[in-house]
Amino acid sequence: MASARRGSLKRYYDVNGWLFVTPALILIAIFLFYPILRSLSLSVYSGRGMMMKFAGFGNIVRLWNDPVFWTALGNTVTFFVIQVPIMIMMALILAAVLNNPQLKLKGLFRTAIFLPCVSSLVAYSILFKSMFAVDGIVNRILETVGIIDAPINWLTDPFWAKVLIIIAITWRWTGYNMIFYLAALQNIDKSVYEAARIDGVPSWRRFLHLTIPMLKPVILFTTITSTIGTLQLFDEVYNLTEGKGGPANATLTLSLYIYNLTFRFMPNFGYAATVSYVIVLMVAILSFLQFYAARERK
Amino acid sequence: MNKASLTKHFAAAALASASILSATAAMAGEITVWCWDPNFNVAIMKEAGARYTATHPDTTFNIVDFAKADVEQKLQTALASGTTDALPDIVLIEDYGAQKYLQSFPGAFAPMTGKVDYSGFAPYKVQLMTVDGETYGMPFDSGVTGLFYRRDYLEQAGFKPEDLENITWNRYIEIGKEVEAKTGHKMLTLDLNDGGMTRIMMQSGKEWYFDNDGNLNIEKNAALKAALEAQVTAVKDGIVRPATGWTDYVAGFTSGDVASVVTGVWITGTIKAQADQSGKWGVAPTPRVDIDGSVNASNLGGSSWYVLESSKEKDEAIDFLNEIYAKDLDFYQKILTERGAVGSLLAARSGKAYQEADPFFGGEQVWQKFSDWLAQVPPVNYGIFTNELDTAVTANLPSLQNGTPVDDVLKAIHDQAETQIQ
Repeated sequence: MASARRGSLKRYYDVNGWLFVTPALILIAIFLFYPILRSLSLSVYSGRGMMMKFAGFGNIVRLWNDPVFWTALGNTVTFFVIQVPIMIMMALILAAVLNNPQLKLKGLFRTAIFLPCVSSLVAYSILFKSMFAVDGIVNRILETVGIIDAPINWLTDPFWAKVLIIIAITWRWTGYNMIFYLAALQNIDKSVYEAARIDGVPSWRRFLHLTIPMLKPVILFTTITSTIGTLQLFDEVYNLTEGKGGPANATLTLSLYIYNLTFRFMPNFGYAATVSYVIVLMVAILSFLQFYAARERK
Repeated sequence: MNKASLTKHFAAAALASASILSATAAMAGEITVWCWDPNFNVAIMKEAGARYTATHPDTTFNIVDFAKADVEQKLQTALASGTTDALPDIVLIEDYGAQKYLQSFPGAFAPMTGKVDYSGFAPYKVQLMTVDGETYGMPFDSGVTGLFYRRDYLEQAGFKPEDLENITWNRYIEIGKEVEAKTGHKMLTLDLNDGGMTRIMMQSGKEWYFDNDGNLNIEKNAALKAALEAQVTAVKDGIVRPATGWTDYVAGFTSGDVASVVTGVWITGTIKAQADQSGKWGVAPTPRVDIDGSVNASNLGGSSWYVLESSKEKDEAIDFLNEIYAKDLDFYQKILTERGAVGSLLAARSGKAYQEADPFFGGEQVWQKFSDWLAQVPPVNYGIFTNELDTAVTANLPSLQNGTPVDDVLKAIHDQAETQIQ
């Protein structure tokens, strides 16, 4: 016991070991810790461009009174509350279907569903923009089928713009999450399903009571990464709305607001840093809640 | 000589010639310029560069074409980070943003007071680039606005060019309804997510988002109120083809879809790029808002060239701008007729290009018209928060469309703006 501890301590004091990790540590310090600390110190400053002054809690007071911030926060929360569950459910169902050994052309389907998340962001945004234009193909199909009478203003109506963003990110990221489930499903022992089938458990109950509980750790992982991803949602909104988060700030997200505060509006790096810490805080709280909800109960 | 040493020799020779090349390039001075719009600023700067190179063969130009938002973002990032290596020697800045950059990044731009004779330029332009008595930059184009319309469509609907002279927006909407009924063409294309139209209308009513002391001017701003109401009426009366984004906006009139467009004179190059529409276009004065004192002239955009203080080629860049943009009258005639650039150098206005009739616009003396309107543009204080206010306006326009009383909408704009402009 004592020698084992001495051994680990020896390793701790071993210069060679430290030399090996030093380059990585230096890089992490410069590109991870320094920005974190610097942005934290920035968040107590405020001012125009380079003319920064110490503001104390000034930025937090401003945040509290800022209607645009609350709109952005509301939009961001709306996006993940609606989009993440839809996407996780769809990914689960798709994974279960594609895991079916009897299914033909599995590889093709898997590739097709995974493909969106490796496609170019800008290309897909432009494609979505033309597809969802007032005289675009989506409206035309919906009209031909008879679901709608008048074309939907996907990009100019505040409500439909939100729906469009949700459709866009669901399209892009469902396949990505599905791959995790597929990988996890491959690891589940087939005999579990066989036993259930012999016992006469219908397939939907096998999905609900076997697949989902066994995938719990993976579901937790994908929920957290998706939540973080949605909280940082930027590219889709930026490209689909020409960087404005319009119409009527309906698709403005926190990340886009940070961008606007730094690059489009009068640059106020301090206030932007404060808003970015709101995202940090939310990610921390939500991840904690999700871990808590998914904990092993005795 | 074996193969290895031969390779070595080649490598050494290549290295040496490369370093000689870069050394001569640095000595001769390559001036890097950032700007946007290949049909306008980029083409004009290329012309200016070619003229300067003709007399100063050692100076070369590297004109980089970005989207406007990218120029602004790159400039802002580089200025904020303090990495001056990333910056160009000359950058184009839109007038609305000039004071913002000058005030929030002091010391970043080269002062040019005493080096350039600013008395030759339109005073409002010089005022826009002056901070604490020091003037920066080289005034460039004006954004004087006009009503560009399709003669053929208006004629079909029974209107003569005189019917469009000095009208109000209400009259414009009435004409639009007739045009729509008789030709099936919408009267204008409008991007309600862009504050440009609001700014055009408001300035013609002699007001801005701020008063002359820099205080917010929203709730009692009659011109802004009229501007918002006119846009919503135009949409409700069905004369608008809604646009999402700039490309879509431009496609609205270049495709022959809509009958008119009200915007800055700098759009001329884009309109004239459709050679098959030659002779079908006309130009009339900007409609005015329905309030007392409003005039049939306004402004949208316009920009100027700024030299970066950190530039290695600073003196050369200033000399270049001075020689071409402050003195070369012939240059101004050329960019006017070729690109529709109405410069702000007053002496250039007496040139003969301003008298020329343009066959594209049915043989009208359009440049003379723009020159006259330019003199009538009401001067206003643009302040430093144009983007913030634009966002506040566009964010609240939909609620006006949905029937919220206009005074409540103005209050909402004021409240949103107040927290944004700290």
